[in-house]
Amino acid sequence: MTAISPETADAAAILDRVEASLKNDLVPVEIFNDEAVFRAEIEQIFTKCWVFVAHESEIPKAGDFVQRRIGLDPVIVTRDGKGGINVLSNYCRHRGTQVCQTDAGNSRFFKCPYHGWTYSNNGDLVGTPHMHDAYGERLDPKAWGLIRAPRVATRQGFVFASLDPDGPSLDEYLGGAGWMLDLIVGLAPGGMRVAGPPERYRLHADWKTAAENFTGDGYHVDTLHWSTEEVAVSQGLQMTCEIARIYEFENGHAFAGHAWTKAVHPGYVLWGYAPEITQHFNLSGLDEAQLHVVNHEPPTVGTIFPNLSFIRLNTPSVPGGPMSVITSFRQWQPIGPGEIELWNWQFVWDFMSEDEARDSYVNGQFTFGSAGIFEQDDTVAWEGAPRAAQSPWMRKAGMEFHFQQGNNSQVDQSHDPSWTGPGRKRNTGYGEHAQLHFYRHWLNVMRGNTGAGTEGAE
Amino acid sequence: MTTTDTPRIVPPVSANPELQALATQFLALEARLLDEGREEEWYGLLDDELLYTVPIRQAAEPRSKEIDRNAFRVRDTKAHVRTRLDRLNTDHAYSEVPPSRTLRIVGSVEVEEIDRPDVIKVSSALLVYRQRGIDPHFDLIPCRRYDQLRLTPSGPRLLSREIVLTETALATPNLGVFL
Ligand code: FES
Ligand SMILES: [Fe+2]
Repeated sequence: MTAISPETADAAAILDRVEASLKNDLVPVEIFNDEAVFRAEIEQIFTKCWVFVAHESEIPKAGDFVQRRIGLDPVIVTRDGKGGINVLSNYCRHRGTQVCQTDAGNSRFFKCPYHGWTYSNNGDLVGTPHMHDAYGERLDPKAWGLIRAPRVATRQGFVFASLDPDGPSLDEYLGGAGWMLDLIVGLAPGGMRVAGPPERYRLHADWKTAAENFTGDGYHVDTLHWSTEEVAVSQGLQMTCEIARIYEFENGHAFAGHAWTKAVHPGYVLWGYAPEITQHFNLSGLDEAQLHVVNHEPPTVGTIFPNLSFIRLNTPSVPGGPMSVITSFRQWQPIGPGEIELWNWQFVWDFMSEDEARDSYVNGQFTFGSAGIFEQDDTVAWEGAPRAAQSPWMRKAGMEFHFQQGNNSQVDQSHDPSWTGPGRKRNTGYGEHAQLHFYRHWLNVMRGNTGAGTEGAE
Repeated sequence: MTTTDTPRIVPPVSANPELQALATQFLALEARLLDEGREEEWYGLLDDELLYTVPIRQAAEPRSKEIDRNAFRVRDTKAHVRTRLDRLNTDHAYSEVPPSRTLRIVGSVEVEEIDRPDVIKVSSALLVYRQRGIDPHFDLIPCRRYDQLRLTPSGPRLLSREIVLTETALATPNLGVFL
């Protein structure tokens, strides 16, 4: 347990209500648009959990950098001259001016526009104008360097940072989600790379709604996305929950897969990737459970707590045309209560030819970009929660969102006893177990409990 | 009359007032058809070889690096546009049910003749006012468009359009409307 911050104290009464509600598989409305809850989230979650900041393929060369966010804080993710990755706070140590004013670039130095303090791309302070007259001696480059994220680590090229010097390592934190990430992007030597810079769009939505949706909300698919079936871009959306497989891991991570070999045909292994692609795969590093998962019940969507999600699906390149598998990672960047910026990256295999990469990129954006024929409907469906959360009437009425779907269902939602992978697995998408898993972990972290495996897949 | 040494700035725009009027009328018609919900008629103005792209823009230096033409929010052929329209016609494309009320303001139209006699380049500024569904607010989508129009016996057809958004992060939640 860590100390409770003042922000969390303000939100304490709400958290008590969340705890009581969650016992009944309900979630109080106010957490989706509340200043105190939002501040507490930034304080308790985004300064303590491992947060995704960039993919290594975005900064391949010495000097490359991208500007990203950890919660509300701007950070510069740099590749220094020695090949090291640095996650640096974008506030000048002199008066706080942002030393990096661009989203991406290549530079050895960041020169503050206010008084000219200059930092190397590893964060060291390397220059102060009029040094002799102004300071008499050189300021210590490390002591007065840009403040660094205390911990930075990568998995499969995904760079994460933690602002908490203590707590679990990245691999411990990811647990089963790391195991899943390995089989999503690590199937071929060289792995995957970004197809382009992130696409950004602002939604009137709460980050938790998006994260929750990607843990495994298959229930919305044949309503909200039904239009895609009507125009024959999708097929069989009504089976989404029936063939879903839910994987829950420690620390609030959860993924949903689909039993494609059962639903489509027995040869439809590996998400239905074409042989031109799968011939590059090398599955020899996978354990037995991973092999079963990639072949028969591969993850389709997932959320790595708190705010990194992914989606992979096989979709036509032009309607009625050949299929290609798209992979998008997306980050729900908190902006303020009930506001997020959606950051969406399409990923392609490093071995892909230019044409293959282009097709996959185009398809990814056509389905899951800001103009995506799936995505655009999600972006507005999620607007209701923050509006309800702001309603004095709904608050007075004690509105709670319903997560009791599975409670009286005839569908078997028990854990699969034959599952040998990490965490636990269920063989249906009915019941809102993955979402509840997310919110239960959210509550735990909001209460100051960030240890690894503290409420693992019990 | 005096002569000066000031170099004459020669804009690459066409001096042909007929082409200027043709392009301006075309863009105005398009905008009105889309504002009036007459997408199928607008579709009739698209060339079969249409390429409609929205590249990704980021804050970068120098300015020439802001737009990555290998990265895009949208890269549609005519078949993609057809699918989008078919989807809208299902009445279940929820982000556009009911359709956004829009007003497209087109301005700064410049026409440039190129070495193909049947194709002209047209640059324009576009500001789209969008009020979606029951939103209590409206969104603005500012952009500049770089088009190629094919001049056919039945009138101009949109051959290619590159939409350069002014914003790096869109302030509207999706591009459910055509730009
Ligand atoms: S604020 Fe950066 S040098 Fe003064
Ligand atoms: Fe969705």
